[in-house]
This record gives sequence, structure tokens and C-alpha cells, in this order.
Amino acid sequence: MKNLLPLLALLFIAGCSSGHDGNNTSTPSNGNSPQASSGDKPLVVFSQANSQDPWRKVFDATTKAEADKHAADFTYEAQDASGKSENQNNIIDTFMVKNPKVMLVSPNDLSVTKAVEKAFDKGVSVILLDRDISGEKYTCYIGGDNKQIGREAGKYVATKLNGKGTVLMIQGLANVTATKDRADGFMEVIKTFPGIKVIAGDDCSFQRKKARDYMESFLQKGEAIDCVYAHNDEMAIGARLAWDANPKGKAPLFVGIDACQKEVVDMIKSGKMDATFQYPTPGAMGIQVAAELLKGNKPKERRIILPTVLVDKASADKYLTDNPNLEK
Amino acid sequence: MRSRSQQSSWISIFQKYQGFVGLAALLAAAAILVRPQFFSASNFANILNQLAVPGLLAVGMTFVILTGGIDLSVGSLLGLLNCVCATWLVAGHSTPATITFVLVLGTTVGACIGGFISITKMQPFVVTLAAMVSLRGFAYVYTNNANVSGLGDKLDFLLAPHFGVPTNAWVMLAITILALIVLWRTVFGRYVYALGGNEQAARYAGIPLTKVRIGAYAINGLCVAAASLIYTARNTNGSPDGGVGFELDAITAVVVGGTSLVGGNGNIIGTFLGALFIVCLNILLVLKGVNTYMSMGWKGIVILVAVYLQSIGRNKDS
Repeated sequence: MKNLLPLLALLFIAGCSSGHDGNNTSTPSNGNSPQASSGDKPLVVFSQANSQDPWRKVFDATTKAEADKHAADFTYEAQDASGKSENQNNIIDTFMVKNPKVMLVSPNDLSVTKAVEKAFDKGVSVILLDRDISGEKYTCYIGGDNKQIGREAGKYVATKLNGKGTVLMIQGLANVTATKDRADGFMEVIKTFPGIKVIAGDDCSFQRKKARDYMESFLQKGEAIDCVYAHNDEMAIGARLAWDANPKGKAPLFVGIDACQKEVVDMIKSGKMDATFQYPTPGAMGIQVAAELLKGNKPKERRIILPTVLVDKASADKYLTDNPNLEK
Repeated sequence: MRSRSQQSSWISIFQKYQGFVGLAALLAAAAILVRPQFFSASNFANILNQLAVPGLLAVGMTFVILTGGIDLSVGSLLGLLNCVCATWLVAGHSTPATITFVLVLGTTVGACIGGFISITKMQPFVVTLAAMVSLRGFAYVYTNNANVSGLGDKLDFLLAPHFGVPTNAWVMLAITILALIVLWRTVFGRYVYALGGNEQAARYAGIPLTKVRIGAYAINGLCVAAASLIYTARNTNGSPDGGVGFELDAITAVVVGGTSLVGGNGNIIGTFLGALFIVCLNILLVLKGVNTYMSMGWKGIVILVAVYLQSIGRNKDS
């Protein structure tokens, strides 16, 4: 009996590999087609940097949902690099073996530039999503504009406060462009209102827990604030939780950014938060551009900037219907 | 050893050629699942490009594991050397000077770790775990937690193909063959096996254990340095969080290749096949469109099966 075990184990390894057939719905394997396994339909691939934070999860879901609508036109495949550039380099290189027509990439960082450029040189249309590479070898870029979002948030806060009050700005990761842009755009508008004072809060790394810890300590100081502006929703929620645990008088305004979680929209509906600004996910637009590229239509603009959407009590319900793929 | 001869001999033959058998099974699966894509010229170059870094790390790790040790710090060391290499090149040092410095630094760090283990008699697991944390910290401090970019094409020659094979793959093959010769044909190589096989007996036989251990860890450091140069060439920047988790890939390749984690048993060819196995498995999973997290699950199962196969004969010993 014991002698049989290695054999069984070997069969098991082989079995595992062939078992993938069941997991995969998009590519017909071996079959009769002598060509590559993508069959007759062109292939569109998507290399995602990571799928870990809520925004990226919505990003993935909306991309997949849009790709499903085009299932008759092309085969769609996505791989996520778990936040590691070396993984993304390998994935892009391996994608090239499959001869895709269009590649969507959300680069992890500039380290993947070379792999993306190699793909572009090979004749693959490259659509960059949300982040840039360091060169010019891409077909089109699609992303949001954090600075504009910061400005919109600034206008909203200034109007709500009637140009007078104190704002606590809870900041995201220090050396990330999103943090800098969301702060700069906001300050650009607020500077035109001399009655508004901004307290630059700590770097809370876009994390709910850190923002909560920070807000708890801040409230101990007893300094009066009229508004909390956080660089993302997670931190706004953290700040609100800290306030609820130890409320002192009238609650300040709570304003966040991203609007990718249902939790936030629900909090806005129940009055726990006041507003958030959507940081748009570029995947669906990316798929639409890919579909047009396959028909031979180049996008009119090389850099497509997606507009933001204000979510407040009045627009919350509509936002939920318009965006069915929000993170729960 | 005695009990193994009593077992039916094909198990031991199988254990000896485990890396080869595993790879053959995987290639067979590839032939069934994604044949036209997997066995294409462009995928051949792709496999070799992806093999260089994990292959080199696995060769170095084989020396360490053969002595009965382990090195958890290679991922962090690779990250640090990646930053050093990028910083030197950006600062305007010549490419040969940078390469030499990185290789010397890597070897020195490896030798220090080996020396520390020998002198303190602490477990390699603990010492290299500490090194893993510290070296990663150094990388963050050294770069002020920022990526180092602007290398240009100074290391591109490592990626350029010769006779259809990228230079980095030639480097890896050359180092693998050198390692093979060192382990098979030199006194040092025999000492490495002796140290891992039975340290007590090796000491009584008068083998200079400290020197052998330092040598093994230094070779490992050199391999990490070579890997970090190729890593830098591919990424064209220095990133303080580069190489996270690479130590596990290296250990996996060694184990899948049939080298025993207890030490004293295994060889470089197995390691090479093990690394090739891991890379081909990764590529196969991407070509088949299997989800990343699902792939991690399969990799874990492969490791378990490999270690189990290795342990069958040895369990009987005890």
C-alpha cells in the first residue's frame, strides 16, 4: 500500500493541472482548433496591479461586467499581480505569448514600464488605467483627476461652511501622488476663503483604523472643528467612528473621497457622513475603448480624464442604482 | 540509508529524480492544456527571462540547505542590493564598478551571516529571520522609502539575447554549472554535504566547519547579488520593497528539486529543474487564465506533495 502513495501523489499533481479546465470559462482548451486557444475571437487582456483594496475590487468588477457585455466580440482575461511589480512584469510577458490585440494595464509602479513598452512595440494596443508608465509608448490613458476632485471637495466644504470655520484634513500616504493632488486641489479653493482655517492632520495611510486612532487623540485636545475632510472614505469613516464614541456637541461635516463602498453611501443616507466624491474606476471605459480599437476606431483623445460625481443625501439613491458594482 | 535499500528500489530512484519527474508531469499537462502557446519560441524566451532570478536564488539556497541551514533573508538582501545598484548607477558610477560593488557586498553580507551562525551557534532560521527584518529596514532607510529611478539603459545588456537566449539566462546557466562542479568535484563540495549529513561526524573528521559554513552562505550571497543585478535590469529601478517573498520561492524550488531540508542530501540539477518547474507552473497558470490567488493554492499543494515524497523513506528510519 505504501508503495502506491508516490504514484497516487504524482497522479494528483497531474490531476491538479488538468483540473484547471473546470475553473476556466473564457478559453476553450485543446479542442479541434489548430490555432491558439483563444480561438477565432480576438483576445483582450487586463493586468491589474492588485485586487486588494475596496476601490480595486470595484475596478475589477466593473471591468469584468463591461467585458461580459462584449463577450461576443472578444475573449477577456484578467490577472492580478498582488501589488508586486515583478509579478506584473512576468504576467505581461506571459500574456504576450497569447498574442492579445489589446492590453489593459493598471501599472503597479514605474518598474513595469519596460514590459509595457515591449508589448506596445510588438503591436499590441496598450490602454493604461489609473496610473502612468514613464514613457510614451501607449495607445491611451484613462483615469480620474485627483486634483479636480480636491477642488470640488473644497468648493463643497466652503459652501456648506458659508466661508467660515475650521477644517481638519486627514491625510493619505505621504509620498503618493493621490494624497498630494487631493490636498493641493482642496487647498487651492480653500485659500480663496480667508475665513476657513485648515488643520493639516496626520498621515493615516488611507486606513480606517489609523484615522480612528488619530481622531480619538485629536478630540482629546478639545479643539473645535466644523468639518473633517479625509483623503479617502475609509479614513472619513474612521474619524466618524471616533466622533461617535466620544461626541462633543454638534457633529462636524464629514467629507471623503472614492465613493466605491456601499457602506459609505448608506452612511450618507443615514446622515452619518455628509458627502463623498467618486474617484471613478477606469475599467469599464477601458473595455469600451478596447472594443472600439478592435473595430479600427482610435479614441479621439489620447488621455481620457473621467469626471467625478458628488454623492450627498440628495443623490445617494440615484448613485446606488447607477453603480450596481459597489463594494459591500 | 539501510532501510531505504529494503524498500522497493523505485521509490528511491523516484526521490532522486523527483525534480525531473515533476517537471515532466507538468510539461505533459502543458502539452494537453495549452500546447501551441506553451511550446512556442516566444514562450521559450519568456520562460528563460523569468527563470533567471528564482533560478539563481535557488542555486545559492541549495548550498545553504545542504549544510543543514536555511536563509530567510535572501528576499530582503535582493531588495537592498537592488536599491544599492540603482542608486550607484543613478549617481553616475560606471556599470562595471557598480556590478563589482554589488557582487562584493552581497558575498560579504552572506559571509557575515554564515560567520554569525557559526560563532553564536544559533539556529540559522532565527539568525536569517533577524537578517530578513534588518536588511529590509536598511533598504527603506537607504532609499528614504522612495523608489530610485532614472537608470536609463545601463543594464540593458543583461536582457539582450545571444543565440536566441537572453544574457541573464546565460549568466544563470553559467553559475548553475559552476555550482554543479563545485559541489560534485571539489573538496569544499564534499565538506558541504558532510556538514549537512552529520555535523558531529564531520567535526570528528576534522572538517573546518566554520569555514565551510561561511563559504556556503557567501556563495548564497553572491547568487543573490547576481540575481539582484538581473532584477534591477528587468525593473529599471530600485525599490525598497523589491523581492518580498522571494526566499520562499527559492526554498520551494530547492525542495521540489528533491533536496532535503534536513541537509546533506540533494543536488544542483534537481534545484535547476525545481526552479524551472515553479516558473513553468506560474506561466502555465497565467496561460490557462487561472486566478492569482487560486495559483497560490496550487503552489502550496505542490510543495506539500514534494516534501511528502521526500519524507517517505526517512520516516521509516526513525
